[in-house]
Amino acid sequence: MKIGLEIHVQLPTKSKMFCSCPTTDADAPNTHVCPTCLGMPGSRPVLNRRALEYGIMLAKMLNCTIAETTWFSRKTYFYPDMSKSVQITQYDNPVGEKGMYYLNGKTPIRITRIHLEEDPGKTKRVGDQSSLVDYNRSGIPLAEIVTEPDLKTPAEAREFLGQLIADIRHVIDLPGDGERSIRCDCNLSVGKERCEVKNVTGLKNVERALTFEMIRQTKVLKAGGKVERETRRFDEERGVTVSVRKKEMESDYGYIDEPDLGVYHIGKLSESITIGESPLKMTLRLSEEYDIDGKTAKQLVSTSMDLANLFERIAEASDAKTALTWTTGPIAANWKAFEQRCGDPSEIVKIVKRFKEGEITDTECSLELKSFMTGADPADIESSSADLDALIGEYLEQNPEVAEDARKNDKAANRIIGYVMKKTGGAYSSSDIVAATKKALNSEK
Amino acid sequence: MTDSILSSLDRINAKYSMFRSMTSCTEMGESGFLFSAKDNLTSSDMETCCGSRILEGYHPAFDATAIAKMRDAGGKLIGKTNMDEFGFGTFSSNSAFGIPKNPFDLERSCGGSSGGSACAAAVIEDHVSLGVSTGGSICCPASFCGVYGIAPTYGRVSRYGLIDYGNSLDKIGLLSADPKKLSKYLPIISGKDEKDPTSCVQPDLKTEHRRIKSVAIPREATVGISKDVGSAFSDATEILKSMGIDVDYVDMPALKFAMPAYYILATSEASTNLARYVGMRYGQQDGDLSLKFDDYFTSFRSEYFGDEAKRRILLGTYTRMAGFRDRYYAKALKVRMYVIDAYKQIFADHDAVLTPTMPFVSPRFDDISEMSPVDVYKADYLTVPANLSGTPHLSVPCGYDGNGMPIGMQFVTDHWNEDYLLTMAEDWDRSFDVRRAEVVL
Repeated sequence: MKIGLEIHVQLPTKSKMFCSCPTTDADAPNTHVCPTCLGMPGSRPVLNRRALEYGIMLAKMLNCTIAETTWFSRKTYFYPDMSKSVQITQYDNPVGEKGMYYLNGKTPIRITRIHLEEDPGKTKRVGDQSSLVDYNRSGIPLAEIVTEPDLKTPAEAREFLGQLIADIRHVIDLPGDGERSIRCDCNLSVGKERCEVKNVTGLKNVERALTFEMIRQTKVLKAGGKVERETRRFDEERGVTVSVRKKEMESDYGYIDEPDLGVYHIGKLSESITIGESPLKMTLRLSEEYDIDGKTAKQLVSTSMDLANLFERIAEASDAKTALTWTTGPIAANWKAFEQRCGDPSEIVKIVKRFKEGEITDTECSLELKSFMTGADPADIESSSADLDALIGEYLEQNPEVAEDARKNDKAANRIIGYVMKKTGGAYSSSDIVAATKKALNSEK
Repeated sequence: MTDSILSSLDRINAKYSMFRSMTSCTEMGESGFLFSAKDNLTSSDMETCCGSRILEGYHPAFDATAIAKMRDAGGKLIGKTNMDEFGFGTFSSNSAFGIPKNPFDLERSCGGSSGGSACAAAVIEDHVSLGVSTGGSICCPASFCGVYGIAPTYGRVSRYGLIDYGNSLDKIGLLSADPKKLSKYLPIISGKDEKDPTSCVQPDLKTEHRRIKSVAIPREATVGISKDVGSAFSDATEILKSMGIDVDYVDMPALKFAMPAYYILATSEASTNLARYVGMRYGQQDGDLSLKFDDYFTSFRSEYFGDEAKRRILLGTYTRMAGFRDRYYAKALKVRMYVIDAYKQIFADHDAVLTPTMPFVSPRFDDISEMSPVDVYKADYLTVPANLSGTPHLSVPCGYDGNGMPIGMQFVTDHWNEDYLLTMAEDWDRSFDVRRAEVVL
């Protein structure tokens, strides 16, 4: 079985790709539009340079060969949401080609190309007889990432997409709800011919759509039938794919160069653009460099890359093991509060360093960290933490089977959390409770 | 005088059909001069329909940059001039809204596709008209109507608001009976415009009155022209010599490749430009809404596009199809570079390339109806090469045949060297007795 994906990423520019209309959500349909994105006769595209820069960043992230010169092409097809009946996209010389992405840092997935294009508008069905068209989305910049059919299973495709999105989000600063701005065309072939499921949104749906297709094609082949090359659509509610049209061959779009936009020499621009380490790469590096297990490294990075950076600073000031204990423990527990307060992480490094050098005990260190990170009075923390310790100690004593369970299985702590929450009316955060439980269990040993 | 022109526009148009739409205002007001514009330039106050029924009733939301600049300079737009549908033609006979008539003989064509503009320039006193050239659509009608016409370098005048035929070829220029108007208004409409990126690479238009000192006449361009055109052209070269200009004959074999390359690129681009006309959003929208969208589009396009538009859509769609794209479209792009090269080689030794503008004088309408599409395409073989290469070119009246029909000759200079052409037009006007058509209303 072979799976290849075409991933459309909305680029987070402030204005559209070829006009100055805003890309933000509009209050009403057809309000963020102008002659250019409506395709009015006589209007013309002007390239948003930022979109090109984002394209280069993604091409770099995907280890693509970046074109020395790049230009745009016209793809002609008729559909009501395509205001010019021509989509400005890239055909020859896209921004990047021949890239490579390593799934989990190991499995190579070849990237065919990454190109830039404009999004069409949206059609919305109204009753049986009519549709409405909204061009607010028309001209929003997209990057399309095309993979080779190197993915082996629907689950692997989902995993790949998840990692890719996390990396993209980091490299080009996608907004938090970035997933809705990522759409995926999924190509799958069990036998010789492939089918394309268009426009699937969300990781889970990608896996569902591919799984359905895999089973459908297998059944067709087993029954001695032939899978026809076609475009299908995923029905999210029913969890099935439905045939939309027999696939036109790509070349029927009659591509020509877009004569209104020139040739862009991007060699120098590309040299001037550097991208930060992606979350995946950082996870792998931390795991290797500090000898910590992959899961913990991943957790650290996915909480926040800033937290992972702090871990490295603490490790430098003390050692990896100390840094890991404190970063995944009390520091992670108070991280949200700390981020909100926009505190100075150097202070945290200093506190742990004092512990490492024996100036303070681990209880003092814990107290100081919490006090500094949350801004709470140390005395309050001390008394409330003593109360918590007492409460948990009491519970564990009365429920030795839970204590036993909790030693083997992290999830058993849920019962303790539930108990404390109920008892105190939610006065303690679950991370505090988990930390206190661990402390209690360790001291029992 | 201008007020009397405004009040007689209806009568002028009734006789010559040069306008598709006209101003109803008869007062000059604050305006300093009158101008007209080809009906493929968008105007916020006048219908713009490119000679096509598919755009009938279209009122653009914005002015084309060239029109806006003329207005800013004090110009009053008096009308939108008739043209071949979307610029597809040589005689302005492919318009859905009547055919402009030649001021020298109403039974003959004004040329095309900016035929209405040339007609207005010839008929209306003290007039200047904005024209558009893709493959010769300014020089051809200028020649047939006995006026001056200049198509500047590709990218010199912003195409914002120009309804596209072939975007890599389209150029906005000027037509007038008075060469001084070309010198006056070309600098006004020129210049970088951030709304058209292809206008943003131009060097400034310098008007230093530089003179053409030598011209090269390609031998290939003197073959296949009518006897009358041949002898007028040869007389004109004698006048040029008497003006102190060296006249040389050269070989330019590249000329013959320009025509097929031009038609491939122009129709390829045109077929994508015309894809947007589907009866939604603007222009005619009265199709049967119960149809599925693609059937609606098809019925609409079948109904409202003219024959020549359909022919060029088919040609252009064919040349960019899979399997043919490399053979036609991609090869035509290479030929364009080859033709540009051929010009550059000549410009190393000469200031301009000179040819007759058209191979014959304006034909009668009944003769035009006998011509095959290929005969018509071939008539452009002298104007197409300069258009394909994006080099500026000028047509000047240079003689008259036995029936008094005007004959034109065309100067081509290197990119961005419009200055030579503007000076040439003014010098020529002093050395040659240009006739004006007699206008009796």
